[in-house]
Amino acid sequence: MRINPYVVPLSPTEKEEKKASGPATFGDLFQEALQKVNRQQLEAEEALQGLISGEVEDLHQVMIAGEKARLSLQLTVQLTNKVIEAYREITRMQI
Amino acid sequence: MELFTSFHISGSALTAEKLRVDTVASNLANMQTTRTAAGGPYRRKTVVFAERLARVRQAPPSFLGRGVRVAAVVEDPNPPRLEYDPEHPDADEEGFVAYPNIDLAKEMTDLITASRSYEANTTVINTAKSLYLKALEIGRG
Repeated sequence: MRINPYVVPLSPTEKEEKKASGPATFGDLFQEALQKVNRQQLEAEEALQGLISGEVEDLHQVMIAGEKARLSLQLTVQLTNKVIEAYREITRMQI
Repeated sequence: MELFTSFHISGSALTAEKLRVDTVASNLANMQTTRTAAGGPYRRKTVVFAERLARVRQAPPSFLGRGVRVAAVVEDPNPPRLEYDPEHPDADEEGFVAYPNIDLAKEMTDLITASRSYEANTTVINTAKSLYLKALEIGRG
């Protein structure tokens, strides 16, 4: 399974501009969280590859990396569901 | 990520217990070993654990423990067990062979303790995981 590093890190200038304009938006925070989740997926994959190629000696570290990746992905899915639910709630609003 | 502190702590314990199982395996495998690189018979090895502490970031540290680490692998200083066997190539002038001073019952007890500790720490990880999953269910229904 190959996970694409699709989350592009913000360039430093962009970040500075955002900082100057005010507090971080929800989008920024979510972007950061997504990057963390993606990193954990990549770490889990790396650990698994290390196990297969015989570099990693501890089986439990591979399992823990996998569980961490799974849990954080589930957290992201739940958060996304919440956001979409809130959006739907607003679009259904009667005017 | 601070979210997975219990994973890190129990993971370090799993690594430490695995090393303990490894030393027991080495002790049992070398029960009859009379030749080592250092000379003389094999010496029983035991692991010494130390608490692993986190670097203090804020002034009032809330929780310092970050698991366990193996401080050292030490050798048993007790004298080897002498056995009379003049035909053995490593026997001394009087016909005594120095065998490692390894007690099988002690090693088996160590093995059981290590495996039970390993199980306990995997239970902690699984419990933490199911707690996180429960937290993810908040507001689903």
